[in-house]
Amino acid sequence: MADGDLLQPARRQFALSGLALGAAALLPAGASAQTPAAPAQASGPIVLHGVSPRLTVHALDTFHGAAATGLRIDFSKLEGASYKLIRTVTANANGRSDEPLLIGESYQAGDYELLLHVDEYFSRKEAKLPTPPFLSKVPVRIKVVNVAERIHLPIQFGPWSYTYSRGS
Amino acid sequence: MTGITTHVLDITTGRPLPGLQIELYDVATDPPTLLNKTRTNPDGRTDTPILPAASARTGQFELRFHVGDHFKASDGLSDVVPVRFAIFDAAHHYHVPMLCSPWFFSTYRGS
Repeated sequence: MADGDLLQPARRQFALSGLALGAAALLPAGASAQTPAAPAQASGPIVLHGVSPRLTVHALDTFHGAAATGLRIDFSKLEGASYKLIRTVTANANGRSDEPLLIGESYQAGDYELLLHVDEYFSRKEAKLPTPPFLSKVPVRIKVVNVAERIHLPIQFGPWSYTYSRGS
Repeated sequence: MTGITTHVLDITTGRPLPGLQIELYDVATDPPTLLNKTRTNPDGRTDTPILPAASARTGQFELRFHVGDHFKASDGLSDVVPVRFAIFDAAHHYHVPMLCSPWFFSTYRGS
């Protein structure tokens, strides 16, 4: 491990868990039968406590039991009577946006909308759904009140349901 | 039965959520057209279907749940929760419940 890595706890923890996985691989085949199969893991270990205030999102596809990789999200802020697009992000391999939706000076109190392109997502997955599907463009509207606290927004969705909450 | 019905449950108490303002909009129009505005009864439902069977039709609809007025949590995650969905077969019944707390919202096509 390079000296520089000691200054990056998140990377260091990731490397350590990688060692643990490596150790598990050394167990005899019989031992693994007693270990439940790993769930569809949407993300590696991520250390987020102590990080600076920010808004982050994590989208999970409950239909396939996987991170919602490729889900397009239009992220907007309420200005006056309408939502103004800040930018469009696409969920990465972990179902997250590559960068926080808001961080630093951009993390301001206000009303925000994440418009999830659920129809496009399941169409690309070739899910057999009615036309038009029950859920097409799903608006998730949240408010940021205290910019001293970070907000993590996990969203679980399928073709017939969705759930979102304040996570950590 | 056809049309749209809902049922609001407060997951912080495990009970129906009475008195919650709900609106139903047709969102195929711009701006959306208000179709109904009502409040939940003691059972967390509306006394009559929010879209009555006689008005059932295909289209794009949006329910808006005014949860902020009810919970009055200063750090609540959402004030008005929109649920946008399609009726793709007017011969079907669309039951769209809302399970909520100030920081958690869940909806699905029920029965």
